[in-house]
Amino acid sequence: MQMILSKMNFSSWLKKLNSYRIFAPVKSGEVWSYELVEKPENIILDYPNTIIPPKKVLFPQREVLLEFESSSEQEIKLKEVIPEETPSVIFGIRSCDASGLAKLEKIFKGGFEDLYFSKRKNQTILVGLACNIPPSPDCFCTSVGGSPYSKDGLDILMTDMGDEYYVESVTEEGEKLIESAIGLFNDPEENVKKELEKIHLESEKKIKRYIKDIDKISSKLPEIFETEFWDKESLSCILCGICTYSCPVCHCFDINDEVICTFPLKGKRVRTWDNCQFPDFTMHSSGHNPRPDKASRLRQRIMHKFNYFNENCMELLCTGCGRCISKCPVGIDIVEVLEKVRVYEK
Amino acid sequence: MKNEYIPKLARIVSIKEEVDGQRAIKTFRTQFVNKEDFSFKCGQSAMLSVLGKGESMISVSSSPLINDYLQFSILKSGRVTTALHEMEPGDVIGIRGPYGNGFPIEDWKGKNLIFIGGGIGLAPLWSIVQTAITKKEEYKDLLLIYGSRTSKDLVYKEELEELKKKMTIHLSVDNKEPDWKEFVGFVPNNVMDKKPLPENAIAVTCGPPVMIKFVIKALNDLGFKDDQIYTTVENKMKCGIGKCGRCNIGSHYICKNGPVYSWAVLKTLPQEY
Repeated sequence: MQMILSKMNFSSWLKKLNSYRIFAPVKSGEVWSYELVEKPENIILDYPNTIIPPKKVLFPQREVLLEFESSSEQEIKLKEVIPEETPSVIFGIRSCDASGLAKLEKIFKGGFEDLYFSKRKNQTILVGLACNIPPSPDCFCTSVGGSPYSKDGLDILMTDMGDEYYVESVTEEGEKLIESAIGLFNDPEENVKKELEKIHLESEKKIKRYIKDIDKISSKLPEIFETEFWDKESLSCILCGICTYSCPVCHCFDINDEVICTFPLKGKRVRTWDNCQFPDFTMHSSGHNPRPDKASRLRQRIMHKFNYFNENCMELLCTGCGRCISKCPVGIDIVEVLEKVRVYEK
Repeated sequence: MKNEYIPKLARIVSIKEEVDGQRAIKTFRTQFVNKEDFSFKCGQSAMLSVLGKGESMISVSSSPLINDYLQFSILKSGRVTTALHEMEPGDVIGIRGPYGNGFPIEDWKGKNLIFIGGGIGLAPLWSIVQTAITKKEEYKDLLLIYGSRTSKDLVYKEELEELKKKMTIHLSVDNKEPDWKEFVGFVPNNVMDKKPLPENAIAVTCGPPVMIKFVIKALNDLGFKDDQIYTTVENKMKCGIGKCGRCNIGSHYICKNGPVYSWAVLKTLPQEY
């Protein structure tokens, strides 16, 4: 379904969606982030990109998995804490982040299904916004199989056409969302469709960063596994972890028990985002660490994204959003690292 | 739909002190509080919970042929295993799983099986040893080569004495001890001393990484091919189901694709374990 929505009617559409929780990019101080929006009429879809990707809505930075309670060592009560079934819509997702959510879905639903993720994902409708101009000078989606107007992972793709949005449903859920307020939408005329195509093609050309021969790099990575390359590239890393926290597909997590009261025992088992760049991420209780230095940890991050995941799922675990480049305080640039891999000679 | 993160409650029915001191080992037998389906394969592991402390992945050391309890032999090492060591019979823990691939023992029928263990490394092997002994007619000769630093550090001491009546067992300690009549030296040296034959044989080894490395070298020297040698790999784990991202070696998640590997496969993976 392809429709036109006047920008003046955008907030009317949102108001019609009052049975959903609505998430959208909200500006707070200098940064934009996805937040639950109380007054949907305040949503403005005019923003660069959020500091943290929308993964945080489906895979929160901290979430309770279960609660436990016990009056003695012999009696323990467990209570499963499963996310509530609240239909939600996330508005304004960039194509890179949407494809990131599609990759996360493969990870969390594949094999053993992760109910916490899938309960949220199954009741969330994803409405994307094409990037007419790159939201970041560091983004490189076209190098990793994406595009600024990719529909991968989305239910609806919107494109800003000046005074109106071109609204295209991708899935049945998306179609229903449009139909629920169909009176607000118009059919697109032929010349508008041509204009859309032009905007999309132009947007691709505006992307500044590019990785040459990504397939070749992907298969070359194992060859340079045991080289000094990684020592040099990781030298400046200060282990802050922003590269993975801000990544739309990084999904490593920790599970810990938080005790509220020791007697009688009461507490929660909590899952939090974790980070492969931290030394204790892989450290055994004996003190032995299979990835003991910055070199082996940067190598893990790059290998996971561009080789291991490719081997397991036939795609890259990177969407080209560029956040890890923009946010790195010491200038570790994944595009540059991969270019160095490409030209590296042992 | 099953929520993989919720453990089943189980009661500790017995605790046996195997080794005391700095590197204490205890063997726990547990029974589920409610009737649960926990069918597993030799070499698979379970995520044990001490509520309020956390979880730890431990291999099941009892045989899948035993239905009325699960057995775990645990080295006191981190927060959770230390808490387990402080528990008493009757206390309740959480168990989820089973996880991992397990040993392909169906493929080993009609073969000679050689088990080579060091220290706590006998625990994951114990599950197959018990299974193979119970179904002795399905396998040819069974041999166990097992050692530890000192005779005090050997696990399953009484059980080993009993087992000697049913299969060949060669024990060792690293250094000379009064009254020690068996081999003195490292486990790989004992392997070279006993010279098991590679014909129609599978060797399974488990123990400290450095021991495994030299056992594999010894087996190769004795003519064992890489696909005749099996071992298990350990890494830190949190989820146990291939999601949390820390136990991987290359594209393999040990919790899911491992922990059992033939040396032919393991030698092709990065040595990040």
